Amino acid sequence: MPARSYTDVSDQQVVVYAQEGREDAYRELIKRYERPVFSLIFRMVRDRETAEDLAQETFIKVLNNIDRYRPEFKFSSWLFKIANNITIDHLRRRQVDTISIEGSPNAITAESARATAVTVTSGGESPLEELESRELGEEIEKAIEKLRPEYRACIILRHVEDYSYDEIAEIVKLPLGTVKTYIHRARQELRQYLGDLR
Amino acid sequence: MIEHDFDEEFVPIAAELQRLPYLSPSRDFADRVIARVDRLQAAPARALPAPASRHLELHRGGQAVAPRRFSVIRATGRATAGVALIAAAAFMFFEVDLLTAILSAATTQYAFAIAAAGTQIGTVVLGAETIAYLQAGAVQAVILYMTLAVGLLSGYTAIRTAAHIAKRKAA
Repeated sequence: MPARSYTDVSDQQVVVYAQEGREDAYRELIKRYERPVFSLIFRMVRDRETAEDLAQETFIKVLNNIDRYRPEFKFSSWLFKIANNITIDHLRRRQVDTISIEGSPNAITAESARATAVTVTSGGESPLEELESRELGEEIEKAIEKLRPEYRACIILRHVEDYSYDEIAEIVKLPLGTVKTYIHRARQELRQYLGDLR
Repeated sequence: MIEHDFDEEFVPIAAELQRLPYLSPSRDFADRVIARVDRLQAAPARALPAPASRHLELHRGGQAVAPRRFSVIRATGRATAGVALIAAAAFMFFEVDLLTAILSAATTQYAFAIAAAGTQIGTVVLGAETIAYLQAGAVQAVILYMTLAVGLLSGYTAIRTAAHIAKRKAA
């Protein structure tokens, strides 16, 4: 079966191709969402290796159950829902201590600490702006790190992924009121942590 | 862009959150995922012969015999016969008083009319010989046969159920 171009093809249509067993459709879904899913999971567990494992588990689960996808929902919402479930289960199971943005506490050498550290970059700016942006970005990452995992998921879905409160409630399987409370508290905490920067 | 539902102090933080970059997993991430998608890994095996069915099959002359399908008419007929037999058995063993009372009252009041109509209808439906046999007082014998039929049906059902359970266990 020849590979086809999926430019301008909706998620729902790519899913249909995947349901027909086309490998290129599976790869397209991974390509579209590997970074958002990995980023969400990483910001919750703060460990690259664990985040990769959990992201991999998420995609394997979703793609193996692609026939169960209901097209009336956004594919990304379904994907994030499974990613969130897997990550929360992992955090509950392991009671993982969140690691510093400077690197994993398990890193023995400075080299491995650098390898596990998060590097925040942005493009299209002057060197000074880039440096300031990078510093602020790292401060934000540190502030997110201090939030409870439930708050992290909600605030990232709201402000990074642009989901509505209703969609977040569906993804994290919590009542709408709880989601609003979590986001409100997360904003308050972020304001406190980042107070000195503004 | 999401609508602002937060106070002004959070605006710069919200802006920074939106600028947070996506992080990338390792380069071979997609390959590792694809390698573990069962549907895709199972695809080349399609050409292989299908695995033996886990269900027991009846073979005749080396070929599997297709299971008989329950037609609607047959099923309806069986259901009707079953209800009739159960009703007859209930009448015989438990003496349904209400039915008896209605029949008695009707028989008392309209005995002649019912007898005449019943005979005519019975003659048309069952035949003159059957009517004569019934009129000779063999109603009890008919009910006895019906009860035997219920027993046979129940026994047959029990055997089929036992065979089904045995098949499932064997599978």
